[in-house]
Amino acid sequence: MHSVYARINNVSATLSTSLMILLAAIACSSFLFTANPTGSVNISSVKVFSAEARRYPNRQQEFAFVDFNITADLSPLFNWNTKQLFVYLEAQYTNTQGVQNEVVIWDRIVVRKEDALLNYAGKNKYPFRELSKKFKNIPPANYTLKYNLMPYVGLLTYGEAARTTAPVAFPLAKERVE
Amino acid sequence: MFAEELKSLRRLGFRHVLLQILNFASVLASGLMIWKGLGLVTNTESPIVVVLSGSMEPAFYRGDLLFLTNPPNTRYQTGDITVYKIPGQDIPIVHRVLETHDVVKKVKGVRESEPRPENQLLLTKGDNNYADDVELYQGLEWLQRQHIVGKVRGFLPYVGYVTIAMNDFPQLKYALLGGLGLLALIQRE
Amino acid sequence: MSSYIQHLVEGKIDFEGQKAVEKIAHNALIAVTAISFLLGLALQSLRVTFGAYGLGVTILFLTVIPAWPIFNKHPVVWLPAQETKKDK
Repeated sequence: MHSVYARINNVSATLSTSLMILLAAIACSSFLFTANPTGSVNISSVKVFSAEARRYPNRQQEFAFVDFNITADLSPLFNWNTKQLFVYLEAQYTNTQGVQNEVVIWDRIVVRKEDALLNYAGKNKYPFRELSKKFKNIPPANYTLKYNLMPYVGLLTYGEAARTTAPVAFPLAKERVE
Repeated sequence: MFAEELKSLRRLGFRHVLLQILNFASVLASGLMIWKGLGLVTNTESPIVVVLSGSMEPAFYRGDLLFLTNPPNTRYQTGDITVYKIPGQDIPIVHRVLETHDVVKKVKGVRESEPRPENQLLLTKGDNNYADDVELYQGLEWLQRQHIVGKVRGFLPYVGYVTIAMNDFPQLKYALLGGLGLLALIQRE
Repeated sequence: MSSYIQHLVEGKIDFEGQKAVEKIAHNALIAVTAISFLLGLALQSLRVTFGAYGLGVTILFLTVIPAWPIFNKHPVVWLPAQETKKDK
């Protein structure tokens, strides 16, 4: 601690320790804020069409189109350490071969607390396909609204906000859009 | 000026230089031990990664530090953020899981009763990208479990930017190394 | 003149000053960390936390790093040089 250099060295060592403690405290403070928001998911219609596969233009594949509406108030999830919410709607079903599928069909990133009151009606953002190329005889699917909370510092947490009350069946494929 | 330093170095003696080298080696060794130990606990080859691209903005920016785990025999779920590396691709990619398909494999003609996590097929997408990652899979149809380095668990902003700066400006690396070396030689208690 | 510049750059302080600096730095950092955390928690803003922390650290550096005269109030008093027989 004799010269300026020695003092800078010494103080910065203590400084980095204190900064680490501060960051750890902020990360831990996230556990103080527990919120369990709920909402609702309604599937208004599901349609299935046959179209060309994305990579193989001469191969046919079925695509499902889901119309849905979501309402959820996710604002309780926002605290001082919330950077963003990743909200997504997921379809879950098990096909006839026993393959368990989870497919995200819609998502949204919420950065501000003012935007956390979700009230959205629309259709899937991402193509909804089946591994076996066809939705024929596929058991009904459940739709779940989930979120991923990302902090400024700390651990990522996940949660479920809403779920369809009953599984929704896939209709037979139609040849063309009516 | 350098003659003076050289003289002081000579005065320190051979044993002192050896001790410095030993100190340095022990620092290196313990660093490596911590890294490998973390890798063992988290079951991933690199438990801490630095974000190199902006494809996950606004969740992760360049230079953010991510902590990974790769628990064995656990399936990945949609919404999980994974780090994956496909053979033939030099840098690992940090993207979010969009689809999971837990395939039931047939073993010797008999269908297994439950899907196993290692047979899981995944599709990923960067939050900031418009389309999913199929184009990045080097011809593969799906991402397989074996390509995954880990799942992002924790997050520390900006800290990793040093490594990016060093990659972008190699001079900085040499300046830093030179400065540290000079300090280690000059400083004595 | 050159000795004055050297004094500024090296910024040497006496032993009492060192002790004071060490104590100030340690206690101030604990206080700044705790206060900025609680302030941010109360106002629910990380900006407040890091603003307070940055301000506190800047003030600390300004008080501790330069060789203020107050840290040089107890100069080491050397014994007078003893005359040896050789010099006579």
